[in-house]
Amino acid sequence: MTKAVSPLGEAWGQFLRNKPAVAGLALLIVIVGFVLYGHFLFNADPYRIVWGPLTAPGEREGIPLGTDFLGRDIFVLLLKGGGPTMAVGLSAALLTVVIGIAMGALAGYFGGWVDDLLMRLTEFFQVLPALLFAMVLVTLFAPSLVTISFAIGIVSWPGTARLTRAEFLRIRELEYVTAARSIGAGNSRIIWKVILPNALPPLIVSAALTVGVAILFEAGLSFLGLGDPNTISWGQMIGQNRNFLLEAWWPVAIPGLAIFFTVFAVSLVGDGLNDAFNPKLRSR
Amino acid sequence: MAMMRYILQRLLYGLILMLGVVVLNFFLIHAAPGDAAEVIAGEMGGTTEEMMAQIRAHYGLDQSIMVQLWIYLKQIAMGDLGTSYHFNRPVTELILQRLGPTVMLALSAQLIAMLLGVVLGVLSSRRPQGILSGFVSVFSTVGYAAPVFWTGLMLVILFAVWIPLFPVEGYVSARFRGTGLAYALNVAWHLVLPATTLGILFLAQYARLSRTAMIEVLGADYIRTARAKGLGEGKVTFNHALRNAVLPILTIAGLQFGNLISGALLVETVFNWPGMGRLAFDSVLRRDYPTLLGVLFFASAFVVLANLLTDLSYRFADPRIRTGGR
Amino acid sequence: MRLTRRTFVGTSASLMALGLGPVSAQERRGGQLVIVTGENPRHLNPAVQSGVATAIPGTQIFASPLRVDENWDLHPYLAESWALAEDGLSLTLNLVSNAKFHDGMPVTSEDVAFSIMTIKANHPFQTMFGPVESVETPDATTAIIRLSQPHPALLLALTGALCPILPKHVYDDGQEMPTHPANNAPIGSGPFKLAEYRPGEQITLQRFDEFFIEGRPYLDEIIIRIVRDASSVTLSLESGEADAGMITDSTAISRLSATDGLMVTPRGFEGIGPIQWLAFNTRVAPLDDMRVRQAIAYAMDRDFILNALMRGVASSQKGPIIESSPFFNPDMPSYNLDLDRANALLDEAGHPRGADGTRFTLTMETIPGRDSATGNIPEYLRSQLREVGIEVELRASPDFPTWAGRLASGDFMMSMDIVFNWGDPVIGVHRTYLSTNIRPVIWSNTQGYANPEVDDLLERAGRETNFEERKALYGQFQDIVGEELPVYWINALPYHNVFDDRIGNPPLTIWGMMQAMDQVYWTEDR
Repeated sequence: MTKAVSPLGEAWGQFLRNKPAVAGLALLIVIVGFVLYGHFLFNADPYRIVWGPLTAPGEREGIPLGTDFLGRDIFVLLLKGGGPTMAVGLSAALLTVVIGIAMGALAGYFGGWVDDLLMRLTEFFQVLPALLFAMVLVTLFAPSLVTISFAIGIVSWPGTARLTRAEFLRIRELEYVTAARSIGAGNSRIIWKVILPNALPPLIVSAALTVGVAILFEAGLSFLGLGDPNTISWGQMIGQNRNFLLEAWWPVAIPGLAIFFTVFAVSLVGDGLNDAFNPKLRSR
Repeated sequence: MAMMRYILQRLLYGLILMLGVVVLNFFLIHAAPGDAAEVIAGEMGGTTEEMMAQIRAHYGLDQSIMVQLWIYLKQIAMGDLGTSYHFNRPVTELILQRLGPTVMLALSAQLIAMLLGVVLGVLSSRRPQGILSGFVSVFSTVGYAAPVFWTGLMLVILFAVWIPLFPVEGYVSARFRGTGLAYALNVAWHLVLPATTLGILFLAQYARLSRTAMIEVLGADYIRTARAKGLGEGKVTFNHALRNAVLPILTIAGLQFGNLISGALLVETVFNWPGMGRLAFDSVLRRDYPTLLGVLFFASAFVVLANLLTDLSYRFADPRIRTGGR
Repeated sequence: MRLTRRTFVGTSASLMALGLGPVSAQERRGGQLVIVTGENPRHLNPAVQSGVATAIPGTQIFASPLRVDENWDLHPYLAESWALAEDGLSLTLNLVSNAKFHDGMPVTSEDVAFSIMTIKANHPFQTMFGPVESVETPDATTAIIRLSQPHPALLLALTGALCPILPKHVYDDGQEMPTHPANNAPIGSGPFKLAEYRPGEQITLQRFDEFFIEGRPYLDEIIIRIVRDASSVTLSLESGEADAGMITDSTAISRLSATDGLMVTPRGFEGIGPIQWLAFNTRVAPLDDMRVRQAIAYAMDRDFILNALMRGVASSQKGPIIESSPFFNPDMPSYNLDLDRANALLDEAGHPRGADGTRFTLTMETIPGRDSATGNIPEYLRSQLREVGIEVELRASPDFPTWAGRLASGDFMMSMDIVFNWGDPVIGVHRTYLSTNIRPVIWSNTQGYANPEVDDLLERAGRETNFEERKALYGQFQDIVGEELPVYWINALPYHNVFDDRIGNPPLTIWGMMQAMDQVYWTEDR
């Protein structure tokens, strides 16, 4: 006799057995904690010039990571820059997922001309060169956290839409959906209450990975100088210090590492979720 | 015959997509505040209002937006993408001049990513739980998680300051006057760092994909048969299993074209590579609409074409997929 | 060692320009010169396009009537001699008779007349040939410029990139000048002709064998490489991939100064006089109050900007006329860091601190994609003005045109700006302060500053031919604007020229590389 375990619980157990995924989750918790609560520990004005410009890490006590081109504390900047970076990552991913699921669900569930129309629209957005198009959007609506998240969301949703559609196509033919329909459940009920919950696992994985992509995207825009000038972000730190690269590597390297570890952690977790949800790999 | 019709159908469809791209971008760009005449005036170093009126007339900016769109579409139909506000030259000429470097960068990066990725993936698939396998999955994620421009900058530091082995800027040495092979080698030498940077970004996907595909294929019956027949492990891997992993790899390669262009934009900026990405970036900052529209047009055309080629190679590689349905 | 060498080079340059220098065995023929620049020219015709990017190739391709040396002294070029009338209302140019365009046609007074009138009609610097009424051409080698009023800036306006002599037979075809196709494939009479032009990448210039000065140019080829990234510019000079270049960022300057075999010098930019300032919109509150502008000036630490932000490579600039100009008034009002004074001025102006210590918020325009030379100060101001209770909010313009549009239409509070003097105050200084030049165009009087006394002083200085009188008028002008601060001048942009040590006679006149480089040569094989 085996104890009945819910599918989610089983996946979670599987996830916990995946060492890289757990390590990624731990790393992510540390980074998010640092960004969210760091300022309680070190409350400092990130714009304050604390010492000479381009002071090397460890060169002076109290400035563990050195200073940037203006002489601002890189550690403090990193702390304050993480929030906007992650906020953009999360909100862009949210937008991506919302648009993507809506489009994909409608297309996959209704099929026919709805499917045709929405899939044409999806292809259309897939053909647009993402970063370039996002640049155009950001320049048109003036760079701010909102426009940047919006631009990233607009260019990233087609992948999610396709995935959702595929899942819906598969699930809508399954017995329990037919059963639900036969007892007279309405379309919206079937979409949201019956199919979507069953389609969630791959969508969760994709959403997790989208956060990583969105963070990288924001960093790219900020690096090109199209970020929000009134908020610090890690990508912006790289862009601003880039001209001093030959003189000082750390103001460029450190925020890059921060982005790297965040995205790395996110994708380890994403991979872990994927393995956990995917019975095929699990059986091996 | 059916194939021909299919290709034509897809091409026509691609054209419609691109028409949509052009129209959307045209309206978006013209919705922006400000006036292209101001752009040009600013570029000239300040000017008079009379001259601005003259500029507007010259570039047809005094017409209504629908008229401008109509004129633009007619131009495109004749293969003319207009005249750059900044350089006052045909956009087509500017883009064609940069097409080569971008294609070269994108393809070399793909090649590096694919070859290296497949090798890593295959090696790690042999022992899915082994150390190498773990290393590969971590390493391939590393490449993906680092911002591509940052990887580039780190390589610049490494190769400019610490090990001056490869040039960190440009396409060909300024005073280089050779032709033929010598020229190609000089370009290739400049290509090493940008292509590697961009390649690292995509390495992860190929490594993972070929690993998964290989694991799946290696468990299949006919592989067992091949093994049973006493074929060497290397032969089994490369002759039988890999052939079946080719399909998904090709798919990814095709789908990735859009991302490749985005990556190229950043990499070209870091390494001063004279490609379309840099042209696009500069045009955004200068609000050089015709050039920007032209680059968007070309980039979309690339993606459409890449998708078509993927589709076709898919059909050739796997005869089972013949009819349209997705 | 370097100093003596430079002095020697300077002297020989002026002698040679006068045509007096013996052609010693030292001036070797041949070789290429690779110049690297971050500036990207739109096209190659300086007659209708200002800016360094066009001026460097433009002056190699087009010859001008006169040349100027490092001491602001004039020398013959296409004009072998010149004479200003007693009343200052006409200038006669006597042209050399053997000058040819690159297509073989002779250069005549017709071309000179056509060029000057074309520049007057099309060049953004409207004041440059503003008083020119006509150019008469009594014979093929004589051109007489007729003026409506004396114009002390005229001679300088005939040098370098300000007065390229265009071939009339190419350009006078009814097409509009700013978009003329020949701007991309120019034909001039200068020492080098265009061999290849790859927009945004590279310009290749080749020796013009029939150049009108015997035996010149010495170089076979000049290659101008356009490299947008500051670190890449530095690296290509460091590695010898390029032989000469123009740099502005401190990293490059300090790094290259320490590189063996390179000469790094701030000389060669006296002519353009690139001034960086903080522009105030004097029409909007609270910046319409002079005391607020002064308070901001007192709150800024110029030493920090110069030493920390610019790493000591930029020179201070306290007024509207570049400090190396003879017209600069060193006694004009100046502002040193004084937070108490700044706070007092703000209190006096009626802006007490609020509960959170803030008096008011100002917006500051920023432009993306601009190099660190300008980008740092907005970030610095945000940190620094907090000290006196002013919050600074940065407003990013997504691109240059948007920024230019905002400044031109007065839709801004503060912005950094870089404006060039261009040799004579009439050309580059008047435009910022004349109330008659408040126009919706960038680099006019975008601050909306109006003072009748300033208008009068500038108008008089613009037609005063006596140097001392003129200097006195500019002196008074600087006293007034120094007090009223329509803009706060911060520094001269740290433009530096970099040359390989083995370059003989590096171009270090007031126009630097923006004048014909026919006298430049390699002292040894490259």
